[in-house]
Amino acid sequence: MSKGDQMFRDTIKGLDKIIEGDIPNGSIILVTGAEGTLKSSLVFSMISRYLEKNNEFGLYATLEQTKESHLKNMASLGLTTNNALHLFDYSDMRTEWKDNEPDMIKVTEEIIDFYRCEQEKLTVFALDSLNALCSLSNEANFRRSLYYFFSNLRNKGLTSFLIMETPPSGTSLLAYDTGRSEHFLADCVIELGLIEAGEDVKRYIQVRKMRGVNHRLEKNQLVVGEQGISVLGSIYRSI
Amino acid sequence: MSEVREKELNSNELENISELEDGEYKKFVDRIVKANREIFVLCVLANKPMCGYDVIKEIFVRCNVFLSQGNVYPILYSLEEEGILRAEFTRGNMRSKLYFIAPEKRETVQKKIDLFANAMESMLFFVKR
Repeated sequence: MSKGDQMFRDTIKGLDKIIEGDIPNGSIILVTGAEGTLKSSLVFSMISRYLEKNNEFGLYATLEQTKESHLKNMASLGLTTNNALHLFDYSDMRTEWKDNEPDMIKVTEEIIDFYRCEQEKLTVFALDSLNALCSLSNEANFRRSLYYFFSNLRNKGLTSFLIMETPPSGTSLLAYDTGRSEHFLADCVIELGLIEAGEDVKRYIQVRKMRGVNHRLEKNQLVVGEQGISVLGSIYRSI
Repeated sequence: MSEVREKELNSNELENISELEDGEYKKFVDRIVKANREIFVLCVLANKPMCGYDVIKEIFVRCNVFLSQGNVYPILYSLEEEGILRAEFTRGNMRSKLYFIAPEKRETVQKKIDLFANAMESMLFFVKR
């Protein structure tokens, strides 16, 4: 798979302060953080901007929000989508099958396969969220299912962003105890969080792990402005 | 096999099928339906508006093939985006969407279904020759 004109690190202003190279194609990126830390917005923004300049196609699957509600939230932050990014929401399926909900891991793989058949150049996938997928999986051995799910994403050559909600302490909120296997299985872990200093609360971004790419480990401030999301300098220098 | 399907077959065919029903026959039907799932979805929606759940149920009742949710819902959304299908919420139920063929696309859809039927017939002619 060849790189297009746009690199992921250039999709967010200031992200090049943290990442030296670019996120390798086909990587699995776990984006973790508590509520309100801009997980969905960051991922949506990165993918949407990446696809604007590359002749590729993306799929953003949202398990808990409707497509309309998600787009409304993104618009409120000044983030827009483009035709190359397809949004799939599970709300109809979940409502109609509420008494007999299917295994969402299997369903998600089928959805990816469908769009790969439709769009040969489907290269980017986002799942919002891994917690929801986990709670809707019928699998007794979720850790094993997660391993195969990650393997299948890799085999398909997709650059996959998996959003995972964590409590402020950073521990997993998955319905099953996976022993944080998702952190080991992912190629990259981007942590988003909040830091309080007196009455001031600021958002930060930290790249905790990025296989094959030099990156800084420090926590940088994350802000939303008219131009969308930007990464500023070290958060500790701003408080 | 569903009652609906049984009624459509004559007794000879039924006799032959029953021997293989659980084996090869099921596999062939399964492959035909899954490989042409969009046509089968259009076929059931050509008869009456339905939600995704009912589309899956109807295909199961008629063909004894379960098309999974991960296959059917993306088809419905894609066809809706292409303007071939339209969706409306059921009266009194804002949570279940009914899909139907857009009136201006009915002719195109019928042509597509006819083409598929012709293709299947000519294959059948070749196989039974």
